[in-house]
Amino acid sequence: MGAIIILTPVVIASWPAIAAAVAGAASAIGLMVGGAVKESTKEEVKEKAEQQVEVELADSEVLAKDLAREKEIVLTKGDVELRVSRDSRGRCKVCAKGKGHSQQELKQMTEQFVQKMTQCFIYNRVASELKNKGFQMVNEEVMKDETIRLHVRRWED
Amino acid sequence: MAQHEVEITISKTGEVKAHVKGAKGKACLDYVKWLQQIVGKVKSQTLTSEHYEPDVKSRIDTRQQVQDKE
Repeated sequence: MGAIIILTPVVIASWPAIAAAVAGAASAIGLMVGGAVKESTKEEVKEKAEQQVEVELADSEVLAKDLAREKEIVLTKGDVELRVSRDSRGRCKVCAKGKGHSQQELKQMTEQFVQKMTQCFIYNRVASELKNKGFQMVNEEVMKDETIRLHVRRWED
Repeated sequence: MAQHEVEITISKTGEVKAHVKGAKGKACLDYVKWLQQIVGKVKSQTLTSEHYEPDVKSRIDTRQQVQDKE
């Protein structure tokens, strides 16, 4: 046995690690990466006066050294556009907007994306650290409820 | 050599449940700290009976018998 631990995720990383999680989550839920990392302009944000929702990752910090504040990742799915960026406090923020969708629908879509992005981020981090610590993967599977299960092993002197 | 195993479950919200097996005492606590550094805040922690077991040490006894030959 040993120990059973339950941990709440905290997303603290530089922009490349966040971008990798964003790409993974986008791919998993069918979002197209609309503009990779690009500089946004105020005109772009103002265009189209449709519904808009903003969700902030509470336990997150995007380390600023690699990221200018104006940069963001734009994702699209049909008429919906999601923008992932770093806010002025350094937190990761996701804004969704789209025509023909209610606030509720946009909020649901944004929260689904934020959850998937967090899961991808934690998976990438855990998998990388397990490898660094010399663990061998015994089994890895994705369950029906989208849970990822990893079983690893190593020998210790 | 001791075999350490970890079963990790990452829920769709990113919450992590880790079951550390085979690690005892300090080694077990080291895994808890390590996971905390990687993932985030510890929500709950249960130390199982194995945690309290002493580390297994190998011991070899050698005995020699000397017999007088007549």
